[in-house]
Amino acid sequence: MLLELTNVVAGYGGGDVLRGVNLAVEEGTITCIVGPNGAGKSTVFTVISGILKPRTGQILFKGKSLVGLSPQQVLTRGLVQVPQNHSLFPAMTVRENVELGAYMLRDRSLVRKRYDEIQALFPTVRERASEQAGSLSGGQQRLVEFARCLMLDPSLVLLDEPSMGLDPKTLREVFKTITTMKEAGRTILLVEQNARAGLRLADHGVVMESGQVRLDGPSEGVLNNPEISALYLGGSVSKQAAGA
Amino acid sequence: MSLVLQGIVTGILTGGVYALMAAGLTLIFGVMDIINIAQGAFVILGAYLSYWLSVHLHIDLFLGLFITIPVMFVLGVILEWLLIRPLKRDRTQLSILVTYALAIIIEGLLYFFFSADNVKLFAWYTTQSIPVGPFYLPLIYLLAFALSVVLLAALYVLLYRTKFGRSVRATTQNRAAALLIGIDVERVAALTFGVGVALTAAGGMAYGATTPFTPNSHYDLISRLLVIIIFAGMGSLGGALIASVGMLVIENVTSLLWSPVWASTVFYVLLVIILLVRPQGLFGKFATRNQ
Repeated sequence: MLLELTNVVAGYGGGDVLRGVNLAVEEGTITCIVGPNGAGKSTVFTVISGILKPRTGQILFKGKSLVGLSPQQVLTRGLVQVPQNHSLFPAMTVRENVELGAYMLRDRSLVRKRYDEIQALFPTVRERASEQAGSLSGGQQRLVEFARCLMLDPSLVLLDEPSMGLDPKTLREVFKTITTMKEAGRTILLVEQNARAGLRLADHGVVMESGQVRLDGPSEGVLNNPEISALYLGGSVSKQAAGA
Repeated sequence: MSLVLQGIVTGILTGGVYALMAAGLTLIFGVMDIINIAQGAFVILGAYLSYWLSVHLHIDLFLGLFITIPVMFVLGVILEWLLIRPLKRDRTQLSILVTYALAIIIEGLLYFFFSADNVKLFAWYTTQSIPVGPFYLPLIYLLAFALSVVLLAALYVLLYRTKFGRSVRATTQNRAAALLIGIDVERVAALTFGVGVALTAAGGMAYGATTPFTPNSHYDLISRLLVIIIFAGMGSLGGALIASVGMLVIENVTSLLWSPVWASTVFYVLLVIILLVRPQGLFGKFATRNQ
């Protein structure tokens, strides 16, 4: 396993948001975490990224513990996060934003090489390089965020609500890019409010509720689980599956 | 007409010095979301440091900056670590109280070491004037303005041409995202506070060489600086420069054409009008910050 969380308990102030989370992410796959609001999905990411320290439990990445590491140290291990809210620097150009993804790198020639590779992959970066990031549409900003996160050539990419606020056409483009990232050898862990779309994209599905993992398995199985379907997917997936 | 021109020129020159002091204040707010009420007290501290070096060690006011700027930078970094970093919640509101307390402490220490007597910095160039067109301009105003231009240019290079500057701008625009791409935002905050305070060393020297001061001069100063950065838009560096010059020109012209009594009033009347018409200031960052 590339990433393993064992009995992770974490929270803010006096309360626990995560109450013993067990989770495993296999290398080269897309894993999607779904669940109702307040389930602790995004908190899983803040704990993995080193922003929030777990109270107990273990987080192993490539067999080594991430517990106690700073966000900078987590990045150097090859794990990057694209957060839920727009995370670009709006008054900087698209190029500056993407280059900042390699902030941790000191080798300027490597930064240039990575930038060239990434602008070949992302037409938005190539075509809008000198424009202010704040002037792009929501979908374009999402793609620039993806481009930026690849500057460190990460092994694992954490995507928090990549579909948030996107129209269906842009959503398809964003999901296609996620598939391309997987095909390029990255492992993706994503949190998705649009559970059905997220699970269809993923190889593996995880359902969270009240700070714990309720169900974990191949995404198709999760998608077609009648109980989960009724609880989190509006109860229509099984009917659709039956009708198909 | 000559009087208006003189008011404008003097306003631009003094506005440059205020821009230097306001730049530090707005930079600190932009990066750290704190309002440093002690900025005026730091300016006066910087002025007294220049005074002490000049009187006791006979070091030229401008050469003394090579000592006072690094000293104030280190002081800023230490104070950020000691007083600002521990503020984890309600940071903006609490920072007002903490930095106000800091200003009072600095004022008290200055009274203790230097007394309440009026002080002005002296050097051969503080009493000279040079003819510029139809009127004479105090040489120190020109030198102070030149110093401000040089330091603001250096600040521009630091912010827009260095990796540290990128990290400062990134933290200003989106602190959470900056953290996630590996920027040590606490280190950036400490260094920014240091830079903001270091600028007051130069601002203090320029202020003290053009205006008599006492330990409590910081009250008037911080009021003006706050008006400038609110007028400009909290966190906007370019706006602070424009607002400093604009406000000081208006104040000077009012003073010369109408009355010095009304000059300060116009300053604050303008603030009220701006807040009513455009609450985020002329170049406010609230429209762009995404956090």
